[in-house]
Amino acid sequence: MSLGVAAIPELHLADKVWRVNWGLMLVVTLIAGVGFLALYSAGRMNLEPWALKHATRYGAAFVLALAVAMVDIRFWMRLAYPVYLVSLVMLLAVDIVGKGAMGAQRWLVLGPLQIQPSELMKVALVMALARYYHNLAREEVGRIVYVAPPLLAILAPVALVMVQPDLGTALVLLFAGAAVMFAAGVKLWMFIVAVAGAVASLPIGWSLMREYQRNRVLTFLDPDRDPLGAGYHITQSKIAIGSGGLFGKGYGQGTQSALNFLPEKQTDFIFTMWTEENGLLGAVVLLGLFAALLAYGFFIARGSRNHFGRVLAMGITVNIFLYVFINVAMVMGLIPVVGVPLPLVSYGGTAMLTVMFACGLLQGVAIHRDLLIPRNP
Amino acid sequence: MRFWTRMAAPVAPGGGARDALDVARSRLQVMCTLFSLLFVVIGLRMAWVALLRDVGEGGGATAVANDTLRADRAEIGDRNGVPLAVSMPTVALIAKPKYMIDTEETARKLAGVLPEFTAEQLRERLESGKSWMWLKRGLSPREQDAINRLGLPGIEFQDQERRIYPQGDLSPHILGYTDIDNSGVAGLEKSQDKQLRKGEPLRLAVDVRLQRFVEQELARAAQRFSAIGGTAAVMDVDTGEVVALASLPAYDPNRHKTISNEALFNRSTLGVYEQGSTFKIFNTGMVLDTGRFTPASMFDAREPIKIDRFTIKDYHGQHRVMSVADVFKFSSNIGSAKMALEVGVEGQRAFFDKIGFLKPLPIELPEVGHPLFPKQWRKINLLTIAFGHGMSVTPLHVVSGTAAMINGGIYHPPTLFRRDKVRPEDGKRVISERTSRMMRDMLRLVVAEGTGKAADVPGYEVGGKTGTAEKPGRHGYREKALISSFVGAFPMRAPRYIVMVSIDEPKGTKDTGGYATGGVVAAPSVKAIIERIITVYGIPPVDPAAVAAARARQIAAAPPPPPPPIAAATPVTPATPVAPRAVVAPVAAAPVPPAAPAPTSPRPTLAVAPRPGGVASIDQILAGQGGR
Repeated sequence: MSLGVAAIPELHLADKVWRVNWGLMLVVTLIAGVGFLALYSAGRMNLEPWALKHATRYGAAFVLALAVAMVDIRFWMRLAYPVYLVSLVMLLAVDIVGKGAMGAQRWLVLGPLQIQPSELMKVALVMALARYYHNLAREEVGRIVYVAPPLLAILAPVALVMVQPDLGTALVLLFAGAAVMFAAGVKLWMFIVAVAGAVASLPIGWSLMREYQRNRVLTFLDPDRDPLGAGYHITQSKIAIGSGGLFGKGYGQGTQSALNFLPEKQTDFIFTMWTEENGLLGAVVLLGLFAALLAYGFFIARGSRNHFGRVLAMGITVNIFLYVFINVAMVMGLIPVVGVPLPLVSYGGTAMLTVMFACGLLQGVAIHRDLLIPRNP
Repeated sequence: MRFWTRMAAPVAPGGGARDALDVARSRLQVMCTLFSLLFVVIGLRMAWVALLRDVGEGGGATAVANDTLRADRAEIGDRNGVPLAVSMPTVALIAKPKYMIDTEETARKLAGVLPEFTAEQLRERLESGKSWMWLKRGLSPREQDAINRLGLPGIEFQDQERRIYPQGDLSPHILGYTDIDNSGVAGLEKSQDKQLRKGEPLRLAVDVRLQRFVEQELARAAQRFSAIGGTAAVMDVDTGEVVALASLPAYDPNRHKTISNEALFNRSTLGVYEQGSTFKIFNTGMVLDTGRFTPASMFDAREPIKIDRFTIKDYHGQHRVMSVADVFKFSSNIGSAKMALEVGVEGQRAFFDKIGFLKPLPIELPEVGHPLFPKQWRKINLLTIAFGHGMSVTPLHVVSGTAAMINGGIYHPPTLFRRDKVRPEDGKRVISERTSRMMRDMLRLVVAEGTGKAADVPGYEVGGKTGTAEKPGRHGYREKALISSFVGAFPMRAPRYIVMVSIDEPKGTKDTGGYATGGVVAAPSVKAIIERIITVYGIPPVDPAAVAAARARQIAAAPPPPPPPIAAATPVTPATPVAPRAVVAPVAAAPVPPAAPAPTSPRPTLAVAPRPGGVASIDQILAGQGGR
């Protein structure tokens, strides 16, 4: 391993443990704890079917995250491209032979494992982009030739995820990739051109669409068009949040969720249930925890002295932020319905693993913040 | 994979790297700010939804009902407001399997509450792969409560409404019915679907009191003559309002799942039939309205008309030169054809167009039949249409056309809706008032002295016309398959209501001597309906003396005195005496007390050898019955 110029000597395991950002781990654990409570209530005050599994998974994922953090960050850097490629191949495979759940093919079954490659891709993409930008000189970042590869690297998985179809994850990938490029220093005018181009091509796309597709888009944008269909869940969700008031109905007392007016209450709509029972106060606590997590992410990114770590931390933070934002904004009717889980709170194995893996990487960036990594190692 | 990094030369820390770091830091700051802003937006929205939404969206805490999005389907009422179709709230059970924890358990628990399902059936439906499904509609409150208590996820209720027809099987062909989703699929429920959905009630012209009776009377007549079907209608002569309208076979719209196509078919507006002699009403009106003829004008009906390979004959051959009045009264086909010749093909076509016989009825029902008439209107068509063959219209066409003939000459489109103010100017003049007056006299003549005696109600000056049409079969007309009808109106000096009864394929009975003509089959029902109208609306007789006389006759059980004088002045020339007596003559031969007045007809031979459907024979029969 050619280290080039290192500001500090090689870290020993003890040093690394000393450098672990335990505050971040606490916040993450608290968020997962909220998830456990919410799932316990969703299961009508039962550990089954969700709460216990959630807790066990978190325990395992916590250990995994620490392990990931201990590994030298340069190892992850070298692994970035292979991981990205493997994820891409798996995405392709899932589109071809994947197992469907609720009308979308998202799962790949490998022996006893059920893997959701789109979840893996979220981390893999950020890692690949971070490595790519780490190796680019400042002047090169702004040149168009050097914009093409990352653009391709973002759009390929976005397209594959879109056909599953999983609009929510596709959007997260797109925005996270864009955010990484932005953080890496790609010139502003390129973003402006891209956004303008997308907006300009909207009418053309619209005119190419069939009537039913247009209706779907319109309903997507304005759920009130179809109050008994897509808009129904959002209406129920808003009612549930509204009925919680300031202090909520009390833990385990949520009528809307108990009577099953809330769909997917253990996954996409868990925030609604949490808010119905714990009110605005509970919501603010949970959002505060997320805000703290993101703040940690920003500070870790800012504190990293190597470009890889900086971009990686930023990408992971943006990723988590997008998840929280899209989920919470959706259940409050702020944006159209997109199926996106709330990190660490929603029930789901792959999502939990991915988020914790990402947290491990974040932690790794924090631990190796003073490591100087030369280009083209 | 590295091709794009080849150009990157190692750069010493500091310089470019420092620059990159600054850019990255500032970019991070920008994103941090952006995300903070978005968090603020979320927070504000959160507060809005949680605390202020009562103001903005008026939401009650836990309202989940979605029926408020839809107005109730409006009521249909008769002309006096009696409800004919109303909506009742019900609850439907919906299953959304993907929200269920355990479909098997759900199925088992539900089956315990809904005995009509087995757990196995329910499980199969729940696991059919559909995202949601109706499990049962029209839950009883008890069932709903029981299911609610089960507390099953993925099981939801939806408020619905169910259409109820409180009068049962009354007027099904007018009302129609709605399907399981409460959309109208027949009758007014279909044609007025939009208005009803909007919550605007309908007020019909129909009078339940008459409608019920008309349906019963029609059913009675159809049963008595073993008919396959029939229609009946009552219309207000001056407004075109359909006060009663019936079609047999009928159905109960409350049980619309079991309706046969036969029963669904509305014979009165959708069925088109050759109407036979009732068409002579229009033929006569058409000819008289030219102004060149009067009821006294003479036509030669001595010889059958031979045209091409057809021969037009009379069933009850008078074989003489007849007045227009006689042609009408004796229902002479030859005479009618001769009269039509005076108007010609174009004149006839124009006339039938004027009274709406070439178009579907302009009535508010979706079930309207298109009349059948020759595309190439030739001379032979002119001649046969004169007596009601070679053109098919619905029974209600005949009713509304006849109304125009007798109400002073104004055609009002028939309507099922109540019309409170209708002036003659609102309609369309089709014949002159003078012609209309003459038509009234001649229709009265048919009932007073001719084939329609069975429809007479003493004192009310009933007028009308019989019609007996053979139904066309595969090989020409089928002599035994008749459509026997009678269209009548009263009182003829100022007509108010028009009544038509038409019986499909009646079979003669012993009572009727085997005859099944319009005067035998339909006229008595028209009489009964007219009597009902008189009772319901309390219409006083126009000729009280005739009522008294009739009552006295009844009490004495004596044979009837000579018929009352012909109403109004039907101009008949002495040279061709009206033949009431001639027609009455056979009465003596009928099994009636011999005290019957001696025939005074100068031409008793007229009544000899009556043929099926003939005038004299009918009178015989009627006399034998003692009059109905």
